[in-house]
Amino acid sequence: MAAMALSSESSEASELGIEHLLRLQRPDGGWPAFLGDSDGSWTTSLALCALNQMTDFASAREKGFHWLIAERGREAHWFWRWKFKTADRNVRFDPDKYGWPWISGSASWVIPTAFSVIAIKQFTVCNRSEASEKRIHLGVEMLLDRACVDGGWNSGNSVVYGVPLRPHVEATAIALLALQDERRTEVIQKSLSWLRQNAAGIDSVSSLAWCILTLFVYQEPVGGLKNRLATIIGDGCDIRNNATLATAILALKCGEMIHPFVVLR
Amino acid sequence: MKLDRRRFLGSSVGVAAATGVTAEWVWPKHSVSYRRPHSAVAMLNADEYSERIEALLMEGLRLFRLNVLGRSILLKPNLVEDLPGAVNTNSTLIGAAARCFLRLGATRVVIGEGPGHQRDTELVVQAAGLKPHLAERQIEFVDLNRDELRKVKLKANYSGLGELWLPRAVLESDFVVSMPKVKTHHWAGVTLSLKNMFGIVPGMKYGWPKNLLHWGGIHESILDICATVPIHFVIADGITAMEGNGPLQGSARQLGKIVLSDDPVAADATCARLMGFDPLRVRHLSEGCHFLGNLHEDRIRMLAEGVGAPTRPFSVLPDFLHLLAAKS
Repeated sequence: MAAMALSSESSEASELGIEHLLRLQRPDGGWPAFLGDSDGSWTTSLALCALNQMTDFASAREKGFHWLIAERGREAHWFWRWKFKTADRNVRFDPDKYGWPWISGSASWVIPTAFSVIAIKQFTVCNRSEASEKRIHLGVEMLLDRACVDGGWNSGNSVVYGVPLRPHVEATAIALLALQDERRTEVIQKSLSWLRQNAAGIDSVSSLAWCILTLFVYQEPVGGLKNRLATIIGDGCDIRNNATLATAILALKCGEMIHPFVVLR
Repeated sequence: MKLDRRRFLGSSVGVAAATGVTAEWVWPKHSVSYRRPHSAVAMLNADEYSERIEALLMEGLRLFRLNVLGRSILLKPNLVEDLPGAVNTNSTLIGAAARCFLRLGATRVVIGEGPGHQRDTELVVQAAGLKPHLAERQIEFVDLNRDELRKVKLKANYSGLGELWLPRAVLESDFVVSMPKVKTHHWAGVTLSLKNMFGIVPGMKYGWPKNLLHWGGIHESILDICATVPIHFVIADGITAMEGNGPLQGSARQLGKIVLSDDPVAADATCARLMGFDPLRVRHLSEGCHFLGNLHEDRIRMLAEGVGAPTRPFSVLPDFLHLLAAKS
């Protein structure tokens, strides 16, 4: 996120960020969740989005892409699909529609699936393949399947023990980014409407920043939201998390730089 | 000797049982034991969340003669979602606990939580109304989902996870206080001080939710985490609790209690009894009582008020009807 945020600010800092990112890539193409970790993780999709903004690093991007294509939620295995269809029905979802997990060995969730769909859509703008299109399609289907009853997305599923879950702002914003070039179905329209309505009342930096990044892509007015975000952030000293700070910078720069999550297909 | 089918089955069951016992003896599932001869529990009556809670809590804490002088305290509340109602540990109680530990001589009190579903921790902290309490005494809040991490070998092996990355704020604290909200839970039956420790597992590594723990088994993961990061004290928020489809979508249930204990198993067993459940039917308690603390009433010394039978047991989802204690 920091490398993306710095890309228009300082070429030196951005280059250092990208160099660091390249050093962290694992031999199998994945990226760990943080420095010191040795497992590939959900951050691979974010790293690929960051590299997709560059014209270089084809090999690193290729490897990252292949890691993502191979990664899948645990319910993709026939045994778990069968279990979720027959014995374990307390959570309502279609296990045939799977996406990406946060960490290998767990189930598919909305945010890692959305980031992976964006990363693969960006990477394959000019080189679509059957495998990439199949995973994109499956990921999009998974997101549409997990949408909340009245639009928007929770972290993973929409109904548990017969009770509908309410949407989360970040999950909704990021899922909508993944669906930006899809046909504007009723689910997408309702979710966009939910996000638009809720954005006005958000006081937290991260959620508000993701709202701006998404609403901008959907060509909604974001000027007022950007002003509010700038006021909340102040001098930025209270933001301790670099990813949150970077997301906020990206949101404030919407329209002034290439949107890192835009999909041009 | 002719081996008929009944004998064969009987022998097989016997061999399996003996193997299990032997395996547990040769390769025990836990390498630590925090269980003491006796544990103490105090139940404080409180009808509402008011400024009077601090005085009440201080009085309760003094019953335990805690030695926290010069120590660094981590308060681990249960802050799950930016939802209204009885979802999160009440911020008035959290603030009161922080002030009490400072008054008792702690050098530092940190409040740490890593919400399991909501990725935006700031949103949860805002919704829980915690910010004014943090500002008042300059108490630090650490987002455990995004803290610096260290890899730790687990001190029990129920889940098969072997090791976990855990936050520095947790590993560096001298005294961990679990502050659960007393709630039913649609996967675990109850969520109390032991289940509350799922919140120390970082989302940055394991995601939102920390789904790997579910695949490892909820009860099994609870046991592994609590063996690795011992809970030194419990302050359970049972003033307004939750019943039914907890931990998020249940109904508020006025219980009017704050449960304190120097033993998490004793605290959770007492809370379970208050809810009308048999604690031995909660799997992580029935197993945890072998090494994490005391479950049985003859090993729990009540410092203030005993456990009366609830007027009406907490309602549960059909999958958890077996938790209900037999009527005496």
